[in-house]
Amino acid sequence: MNKPKVSSDWICGCAGCHMSLLDMDERILKVLELVELRSSPITDMKEPDESGVDVGILEGGINNTANEEVAIKMRKRAKILVALGDCAVFGGVPAMRNFCGVEAALKQAYVDADSNEPGSQIPNDPELATMTKVRAVHEVVPVDYNVPGCPPDADVIFYVLAELAQGRKPELKDELLHWH
Amino acid sequence: MVQITINEKKIEVAEGTTILRAAQMAGIHIPTLCDHKELTPYGGCRLCIVDVEKWRVPMAACTLPVSEGMVVHTETEAIKKSREFILSMLFSERNHFCPFCQVSGGDCEFQNAAYDEDMTHWPIQPGWNNFKVDSSHPYFILDNNRCILCRRCVRACAELTGNFTLSVAERGAASTIVADTDVPLGESTCIKCGMCVQVCPTGALIDRGSAYLGHVKDFEQIKSVCVGCSVGCSVNIMIRNNHIVRIEGDFDGAVNHGLLCEHGRYHPTAESRKRITTPQMRKNGKLEPVSWEEALSALTDKLQPLAGDKNGIAAIASTRLPVEALAMFKELFADKFQGALVTSTEEGIPTAATSSFAEKNGAFEGKLEVLRSADTVLCIGANVNRSHMVVGSMFKRNLPKGTRLINIGPDTSELDYLASTTITTKPGSDMALIKGFQAIIVKEGLGRSPMTIADADLLIEQAVSATGASREQLSQTAQTLARSITPVIIFGKGITAQRDENLVEEIYRLAVLIGAVDSERLGLISVKGEANSLAASLLGLDTAFKLNGQKAVYVALGDDYASKSLIERVSKAPYLVAQACYESDLTEKADVVLPVTIWSEQEGHYINLDGHMQKAQQVLTAPENVRDNMAVFSEVAKRANMALESDWQEAILERKSSVSLN
Repeated sequence: MNKPKVSSDWICGCAGCHMSLLDMDERILKVLELVELRSSPITDMKEPDESGVDVGILEGGINNTANEEVAIKMRKRAKILVALGDCAVFGGVPAMRNFCGVEAALKQAYVDADSNEPGSQIPNDPELATMTKVRAVHEVVPVDYNVPGCPPDADVIFYVLAELAQGRKPELKDELLHWH
Repeated sequence: MVQITINEKKIEVAEGTTILRAAQMAGIHIPTLCDHKELTPYGGCRLCIVDVEKWRVPMAACTLPVSEGMVVHTETEAIKKSREFILSMLFSERNHFCPFCQVSGGDCEFQNAAYDEDMTHWPIQPGWNNFKVDSSHPYFILDNNRCILCRRCVRACAELTGNFTLSVAERGAASTIVADTDVPLGESTCIKCGMCVQVCPTGALIDRGSAYLGHVKDFEQIKSVCVGCSVGCSVNIMIRNNHIVRIEGDFDGAVNHGLLCEHGRYHPTAESRKRITTPQMRKNGKLEPVSWEEALSALTDKLQPLAGDKNGIAAIASTRLPVEALAMFKELFADKFQGALVTSTEEGIPTAATSSFAEKNGAFEGKLEVLRSADTVLCIGANVNRSHMVVGSMFKRNLPKGTRLINIGPDTSELDYLASTTITTKPGSDMALIKGFQAIIVKEGLGRSPMTIADADLLIEQAVSATGASREQLSQTAQTLARSITPVIIFGKGITAQRDENLVEEIYRLAVLIGAVDSERLGLISVKGEANSLAASLLGLDTAFKLNGQKAVYVALGDDYASKSLIERVSKAPYLVAQACYESDLTEKADVVLPVTIWSEQEGHYINLDGHMQKAQQVLTAPENVRDNMAVFSEVAKRANMALESDWQEAILERKSSVSLN
C-alpha cells in the first residue's frame, strides 16, 4: 500500500507551529514511516503535487491575495485539509490588525513607526500581493480539521498526523485540546 | 418537597429550588457561566439550557424553579448542539485571544466550558469591533473585549459588596460593563474590594498583581484569617515559591462569608517597606548588625536590673500580634518585670470606653450577623467605606431592599451617596446629639422601653445648637430610628477615641430605647480597630502610653506601622528596644533592633470585633535570621531568669468582654 502523501505550508503565521512539529523529536521518524512527506516550507519542494496529496496542512491565517492563492491551491490538491495553530483556526495575533484596518496598519508599520527612515513610504510595487482583512483558513476554504494551539503541542501534531496517516479521524479533546 | 426526574434519576427537593441547584444536589453536572453560588440567578449566558418534557423550548436551568413531576433531560443531542452553538456565539460576540490571556490554560471558566464541549474553533468570526479597555484602576484592568456579559461582577458589586459601582451601559451586543455613569474605574465610587475580579469567569477583569504568575493549579492554597483589621475575614491565600500570589475571600468564612476589602486583598501583597533581616545594635551611635546572642544578652543586661521597678520599663505591643504573643508580652512586662506602663499601640482608643462600660454591664454588643436583617442602620463616627469596609458591605447591600442608612460623623462624604440621612457633626457634639435623639423619642412617646427625661426640649435645643442640624432633621431621624423594626447602631473610632464611657452608655441607652437592643437582639456594634484590638483590651493592654521617665522602652511593633506620635514619644527614652519587621523611623532611633516574623510567617489566634476567636495560619517561611515574636519574648524571659507560664486562653477571660466570645 502506498503511504499517504502529506504537504504543508505556512501563510500568515510565525513558523512556530512548524517548529512545534519538529519538536516531536525522534517521533518524526515514526511519522515519516507512516507518511510520505511532499512539499513543505522546510523541504525542497514548495507546492503540493498537481496530482494531489492526501493531507494538506496550513499554518497561519490569510492576510493577502498571495495567502489566498496558497490556501486555495492546497485545498484543491489535498483530500483532507488541516488548519494548524491558532492563526489558521481563529486568525490569531495578526488578526488584531482587523481592528484598525489595512491602511492604518501599513501606515503605522512603514511610515509612523519610530524605526522608519524619514520619508519612508508604504511599498507600492505592483508585483506585491494586495493585503486583505486577516481571516482564519475556514473563512476562505473549507477545513476538515481545526487544530488549535499557540502553538499546538508536538504531542497534538503527532496524534493528528498519526491518526490521519492510519485512516482514522483525529478527535481533539482533554489534554490534546488547548487554544493557547 | 417536590418530586422531579433529571436524566432518569428521581430526586426530591424543596419547593422553589431551581433545576440547576436540584441537579447539583443530585450530582448531575450542568455547564454554567453566569451562575455563581453566592449570587442571585440571572439567566444571562443560557449555557445551562435543559430540555423539560412538555415545555415548548429549552429552558435555562438556573432560573427555572422545579415543579411537581417535572422531567428534565440535560444531555440530549439537541441540547448538546444548542449548548455548543450558544458557546460559539459567546466567543463570536467579542474578541477572544486565548494565547496571551492570563487565565487561559486552566483558570478561564469560559475556555474550560468550550473544552468540555470539545470545541476546536468557533464557526463565526467576530465583527472586529474594538471594545473599551479601562486600565485606570490601581489593582485591576477591565477589558470589555473579553467580557461575556454574564454580569457576575455587577451582581457581586451590588449583592456582595453593596457598593453599586458596576453596571451595564448600552444594549445588546454593544453592552459594556461601566463604573458609575461610565467614568474610569480609577475615578469611580469603587472601594477596591476586588470581589468583581474574584468572580469573573473570563479574563475580562485582569488582576494586576497576580496576572501571569501562574494558574490556580500551580499554587498552594491555605485558608487563613486576614489580620488587616478587627473584622477577621476568612481568606484563601495562594502561594507559589514562598511568595503570596493572590488573596481571595473565603465563601465558607464564618464572619465574612466571602467578603473582603482592599486592605485584606491587595495591601498584603503591595508591601514596600524594607525588611530587617538581622539583629542590630547601636555601637558608637550607629546601628550595626550583630548576632542574636549579642543583641539579646545586651538588652537583658539592661532590662534585668529594672525588674520590679514600676517606672523601670515601659512596653508597648502592636494589636496586629496574635493573642498568644500579646498574652506573653503582657506576662513578661507587666507581671514579671512589673512595669506600670504596659499597653498596646492602639492605646485603647477603639476599646477602652466600651471595655470599661462592659466591666459594669457585661457584654452589650451584638454579632455582625444582626446586620443581615437590619432595616435601619445608624452609623456614628465610623467611615465604613474606608476602614472595616466589610462591615459596611453587610448592610450596604441591603439598601435596595429598603434598609435605611443614617450616617453621622465629622466626615460623612464617602457614604453620602448611600445614606438616606446624613448629619455632619462637630467635635464634641456626639453626646448632645445622642441625648437629643433620646429626648425626641421620649417626648413623642415612640420609645420601645421606658425612659424618663426631665427637660426634653432643652436637650433637643442643645442637640440642634451642638450639631448645626435643623430641629426638623433631627426629629425625622429620631422618628425613623424609633419606628424601625430591626434597627442596628454601629459606632467607630469617632466615638471611642473620645474615651468617654458615658457616651457609650448613652448610645447603649438609645439602642435600648429604639429597640436595637432588647432581650432577643443585640443590635449594637463597635467596629474597634486592628486585628486584635479586643484581645489587647481583654488583656488590659488599653491604657494611654504616657511615658514618665522610664529608663527603658520596649516596642513590640511586629509588622505594624509606628505612628509619628509614638516615635516622638519613645525617641526620648534612654534605652529603646524595637522588635520589628521593617525599617522605620522607630528602628532608626532604637538601641537594639530585633527582626521578627510578619503576619504570614507566624500562626496564632485573633479575636475579631464581634468576639469570634479565629486562627491565622503560617503561610510563608520566614527569612533565615528572623525569629517569631513569642520566641523572642520567651528568650528574653529565660535570660532574665523568669518563667512565662500563664495560659493565654485563661488570660483573656480575666476581664469582662463587651461582646460574647465564640
